[in-house]
Amino acid sequence: MQEKRSFFEWLKTYDGQKFTTTILFLLIPLVLLVLFTFVPAFNMLIYSFQSRDLFKVKGWLGFDNYIRVFTDKEFLTTFKNSLYYLVGSFFQQGFALLVAAILCAEIRFKGFFKGVLFFPYLMNGVAVSIIFQRFFLKGNPPVSPEGTLNSIITAFGGESIKWLSDTERPWLVNICLVFVSIWRYIGFDIIMYMGAIQSISPDIYEAADLDGANPWQRFVYIIFPGIKPIISLQLILAVKGAISVFEIPYIITGGNFGTSTFVIKTIEMAFQKKKLGVASAMGIVLLIITIIVTVIQDYFFADKPVKKKKALPRASK
Amino acid sequence: MMTKKLLATTTALTLLMGTIAAFTSCTDKNGGDDSQTTSTATNDSTTTGTNDNKNNGKKVTLEVLTNRTDRDQDGTLDKLVEPFEQANNCEIKWTSYSDYSKDVPTRMSTDDYGDVLFIPDEVDVNDLGDFLVPLGTYDELKDKYNWVSKKMDSKKNVYGLAYGGNAMGILYNKKVWADAGITELPKTPEDFLADLKLIKEKTEAIPYYTEYADSSWTINQWCNLLVSASGNPGLENDLLTEKTDLFTPGNGYYDVMKLMYDVFSDPDLHEADPMTTEWESSKTWFGEGKIGTIVLGSWAISQFEEKAGDKAADVGYMPAPFTAADGKQYAQTDADFCVGVSKHSKDIDLSKKFVEWFVSESGFAFDEGMIPTPKGSEIPSNLDNFKDCVLFEKDVAPDDLIGKYAAIDTASEVGIWLGDTGNFKIQLAEAAFGNKGEEGFKAIIDEQNKKWADARDAELG
Repeated sequence: MQEKRSFFEWLKTYDGQKFTTTILFLLIPLVLLVLFTFVPAFNMLIYSFQSRDLFKVKGWLGFDNYIRVFTDKEFLTTFKNSLYYLVGSFFQQGFALLVAAILCAEIRFKGFFKGVLFFPYLMNGVAVSIIFQRFFLKGNPPVSPEGTLNSIITAFGGESIKWLSDTERPWLVNICLVFVSIWRYIGFDIIMYMGAIQSISPDIYEAADLDGANPWQRFVYIIFPGIKPIISLQLILAVKGAISVFEIPYIITGGNFGTSTFVIKTIEMAFQKKKLGVASAMGIVLLIITIIVTVIQDYFFADKPVKKKKALPRASK
Repeated sequence: MMTKKLLATTTALTLLMGTIAAFTSCTDKNGGDDSQTTSTATNDSTTTGTNDNKNNGKKVTLEVLTNRTDRDQDGTLDKLVEPFEQANNCEIKWTSYSDYSKDVPTRMSTDDYGDVLFIPDEVDVNDLGDFLVPLGTYDELKDKYNWVSKKMDSKKNVYGLAYGGNAMGILYNKKVWADAGITELPKTPEDFLADLKLIKEKTEAIPYYTEYADSSWTINQWCNLLVSASGNPGLENDLLTEKTDLFTPGNGYYDVMKLMYDVFSDPDLHEADPMTTEWESSKTWFGEGKIGTIVLGSWAISQFEEKAGDKAADVGYMPAPFTAADGKQYAQTDADFCVGVSKHSKDIDLSKKFVEWFVSESGFAFDEGMIPTPKGSEIPSNLDNFKDCVLFEKDVAPDDLIGKYAAIDTASEVGIWLGDTGNFKIQLAEAAFGNKGEEGFKAIIDEQNKKWADARDAELG
């Protein structure tokens, strides 16, 4: 017999309590999310159309701030620097995939190598930067000795190099910074790829072996399709990472000698030059670039098997 | 069963105690406020005479907030105020913060921020009246003390007196310079460059240490010399009224930046790799005679002396190597932290008395190697080289131009006092390291001149 219950009575039932609990538990993260992510992001969007400092609005500019982000030569250098990191990250992905494939094979001291390669990722970014500051040091006689790399070079009879401040080879310092970035983050990529490779069922390898597949064919036809989602994820992260590089150049060079990045410039714009409008526009640009990259990868790496499954029932009709 | 009961009782008790505590604290607060209002009332009625008697019964403790953690921890400050404590039957309690500019403004959002405090620069000068008691007007104090205008609002009320001041100049190692055979300090940029070359030839030391790895603030030290080099106390105001270019030969800005450019351009005159300089270690190296010269404010002298140990006597300080058109050498002085009295002080009169005593009679500034605040005081020995210089303060901006200089600086994005990665000083330094020559220098300053002029015309109409 179905009795008509009031809402409050329904709340006392098992279903009602489940409902209230869910709402209550969701409320806290949602409020936090709205308060600290969506509201500030929305404010940032508004700020990006204004001429303003940290406290006062001086006027509305329309899209002037955005035009400036893409025309000012100061910002164009940062995009150029991002390209260094982007190219670097492709090498990083390739190398990580290679190492991951090797580590998945039957080799000795697997755990040890895994640990060694992953260790830099666990280290604090500041510590990593300081280590490499010492590594690339060019000595300043008579006060300071040569750094690690230059000591090795001179020990073999080479000439020591100004790794971080060579004005004749301005690209050198960026290459050094990209190297540090690769060294730091490659461990994470390797672990990701290893996880993906190991999740492929061994039956498939066995079948491939029976069919006489060589290692290269195994990679192209089994491993690569199997880890495609991970590769696509890594690519977005790489592009996003390339444009939002911050701590490594900020600590090692302070953004000087042409190593400034988009995020360093954004912070300087907001808190040193007190142009919060331009800085907000830069933040929005960063967001839009990330969205575009995500959409593109979605298009190219769409999960095709799922679509086939959808198509199947229709065919059976 | 037993435990459950016990638990319930304890909870109830705790709750009860909490409520009681909350109530009593409320009443306490009211009581406190009351007594405070009465005490200020008595203060007001007795300011004319019997003020000191009030303290006889109970010892007043004044809390003083300071950024000088070093001098607080080594007991210098406690010892310093003993005579004042005895004379006024009070106690001075120092509270020092190592991150002063962050912690104290936070504390200032409550009513409890000590009785006397070093005024953080984060507080806008026109808001000072909300926190502090005026010590007097500009006209009352200007003949007695230096740097009176530093913490003055637009109504010319002065809220703080500097505890000491710095002269702007260049740090040099006396022994290195003497070893190079230099007997007279340079008076022109040409002499300065020639002397650095001599140091390179005759000694092992690095003639000039750029501190470029910390360029975001070290490069600003050159800006300390801008007004000194011009010999014109009203330089910043003249820039606005006469509407000249920001960098014009002879106006200080141009000359100082040119000197910096020339020093940085010659790889013999500075260290090999400017990207790997080390600020903390450089203090020791300087004392060891491995570094000849660094442009730094006089605040740095005591730090370098400390690290030099028994060679502290080698740390010298010279005025900016520029001679003005009248044949004299000028040196700008500027105030360090100013000391003010909290609006909520327990004893405002005693606090004011302490501020005046601290800045004038305590001798703290002199001991620290700073220029003391009272006008006409003796200058400490580390500034001996400034004896023949004309020491002056920067002029106050006329009423219609207050804040305009800073506004133009921000609007134009020139950032005279900034060290961001696109700043003109960083551009100049890197052009110099890359040996871009005269054209490189001109291209950068022309761009800045244009930015400045555009913003100035927009701001001043």
